[in-house]
Amino acid sequence: MKSKRIFLSMVLALALGSLVFSAPAAAAKPVKIGFVYIMSGPFSTYGQFAKKGALMAIDEINAGGGFLGHKVEGYFEDSTGKPDVAMRAIRKLVYQKKVNFLIGLDSSGVAKSVVPSIPQMKTPLIITHAATPDVTGSVCNRYVFRISLNLAQNVKTAALLAAQTPAKKWTTIGPDYAFGHQSWEYFQKYLKAVKPETTFLPRDQVAFPPFKTTDFSAYITKVMQSKPDGVLVSLWGGNLINFIRQGREMGFFKGDFQVLVTLGAAVEVLSALGDKMPEGLWVGTRYWFLANDSALNKKFVKAYYRRYKSYPSYNAHGAYAAVYTYKAAIEKAGKLDTQSVIQALEGLTIELPVGKITIRPQDHQAVTDACWGRTYADPKYPIRILKPFKIFKGADITRPVSETGCKLK
Amino acid sequence: MEALIVNLLNGLSWGMLLFLISVGLTTVFGVLGVLNFAHGSFFMLGAYLCMQVMHIVPSFWIGLLVGPLAVALLGLVVEKWLLRQVYGRDVAFQLLLTFAILLFLDDGVRIVWGPGYHVVEAPALLAGVFPLFSHSYPVYRLFLVAMGPLVGMALWSFFRFTRWGKIVRAAAADREMAEGIGIRVPLLFTAVFALGTWLAALGGALAAPHQSLAPSMGDRIIIESFIVVVTGGMGSFPGAFVGALVLGLLESFGTVFAGRAQMALPYILLAVVLLVRPRGLFGDRA
Repeated sequence: MKSKRIFLSMVLALALGSLVFSAPAAAAKPVKIGFVYIMSGPFSTYGQFAKKGALMAIDEINAGGGFLGHKVEGYFEDSTGKPDVAMRAIRKLVYQKKVNFLIGLDSSGVAKSVVPSIPQMKTPLIITHAATPDVTGSVCNRYVFRISLNLAQNVKTAALLAAQTPAKKWTTIGPDYAFGHQSWEYFQKYLKAVKPETTFLPRDQVAFPPFKTTDFSAYITKVMQSKPDGVLVSLWGGNLINFIRQGREMGFFKGDFQVLVTLGAAVEVLSALGDKMPEGLWVGTRYWFLANDSALNKKFVKAYYRRYKSYPSYNAHGAYAAVYTYKAAIEKAGKLDTQSVIQALEGLTIELPVGKITIRPQDHQAVTDACWGRTYADPKYPIRILKPFKIFKGADITRPVSETGCKLK
Repeated sequence: MEALIVNLLNGLSWGMLLFLISVGLTTVFGVLGVLNFAHGSFFMLGAYLCMQVMHIVPSFWIGLLVGPLAVALLGLVVEKWLLRQVYGRDVAFQLLLTFAILLFLDDGVRIVWGPGYHVVEAPALLAGVFPLFSHSYPVYRLFLVAMGPLVGMALWSFFRFTRWGKIVRAAAADREMAEGIGIRVPLLFTAVFALGTWLAALGGALAAPHQSLAPSMGDRIIIESFIVVVTGGMGSFPGAFVGALVLGLLESFGTVFAGRAQMALPYILLAVVLLVRPRGLFGDRA
């Protein structure tokens, strides 16, 4: 009994000793990046994809020497999709974890209420998903950047596509919050500009189901009975999955009208639906893993597939790309301090898997390409892929700075 | 005419699903006096276990049979080892306990099946559509419309006509008297709670081919079920049926006629009922 106790204390002493002596000999201070995504609740799959992309980027960069020789560390917090929780998460990252840089934000609602408080924390934030035009518009500020496609860019592509169809009377079905309403508002504005004879159903005839809806039948019936020529669908996540399944059963996609799904090519949605996704449906996305033939994109998709056994979604790409964007800015600045990195981010052009993007210095919005395609069943893939697809050049779909309402300088 | 019928079917199928979930909630409340927050999580678990069974045996019917039974077993364990501890205490303890169970189950599902969406296929027999005027309507929804009254009638006859049903009602009406005449009330409570969870899980399994599965799918339905139960009268059987029907129809017709005000309709209904009949439409007048 006694010998056992001695043995135990020896093991303990050894363990402690090894802890003390193996402490790194004054390694360069790590650079900390804080990530805030939706990690729980109905939309958590988006946060999980983002985390996968982020972790892969961090591992790749650390293997190659980190940021100017500094190891990169990632800290992940759950925004739950609620503004107050996201704000707490960001404060925790900045004040407790002392992160140098921030990446994240899925929901437009969260982004719009969090962004005005970022300058107080003097920590730059790169937004990779939230699409509200306002964060690089009316509430833009020096510390906030966005490398993903915003709502205005996304809907502009939808309007350009819509203009090419014979449809004259359009309606919408979208989530009943800022994102759905703004999508519809911008769609009308842009489509009217390129095809003035188009008409749009009045407010009381379009469909805005609440976020928590699981049964969309009433809305599907309403839209079908309004006999439109075209329908803009801006639902996303679980809402979109339920809508497509139920709409398919009710013959929505066989109706004699055009359907444009602005966020339909999210891998999260395509994976859940599998062969339940109708074929030949026009779907849009911020990044499509087969759309770019560049060596960089092929390497990214291959490495991602090898690591996670799935294809990268636009959210995985966004988080991955944001880490590399900070890397490029830090290398351009040659140092790590916040103000130099912000200066380097302004006007930065970088090649990402999605293609070349440029961050406009005037509003901090990236000029980035958008992709739309028709769903197609390819036996080589477990999910519907886009074939044919269309790339819209960032320069053609990004609104001029004068229209954004952003006053940075 | 077409709009009327399609909306009627939409409302009925949603209402009947709500009924299956609410009837379990109301039974547990009526007999045990427990307001079960975790009811929605049992609903979710029913859907997930149905899916899991279908991965092993690719048949929806077996999933529908086995999944909810497995959840009922869990309900049995929950009642016997957890809920029983708080019967004598303040209501707050019941709420806290059932809320804790909800959190555990939601996170448990996330750990086991991941946070992503899952899809369950309707059985071949019900997967089709039938023509309805100029459009088509899914057969599965009709099946849902039929399942509600079927389960409702079965339960009602059970409580009304069988010896066991009478024992349950006796225990609900007066626990001490029932114990006095030799009814083993604790055992009965366990059985009733298991029945309640089975109903929730059955609702979940039936909802699976109709909506996507994700953790927290139960949180959304529990709120509406509470509205149904309170509107219909706590513990009342016909109350749950009528409440669910009214809520389902209100949502489908409200979408068409009320526009954005539709969201407020269930709460307005609730408020009006509470003002006019504070114990619900079919509640006992005490």
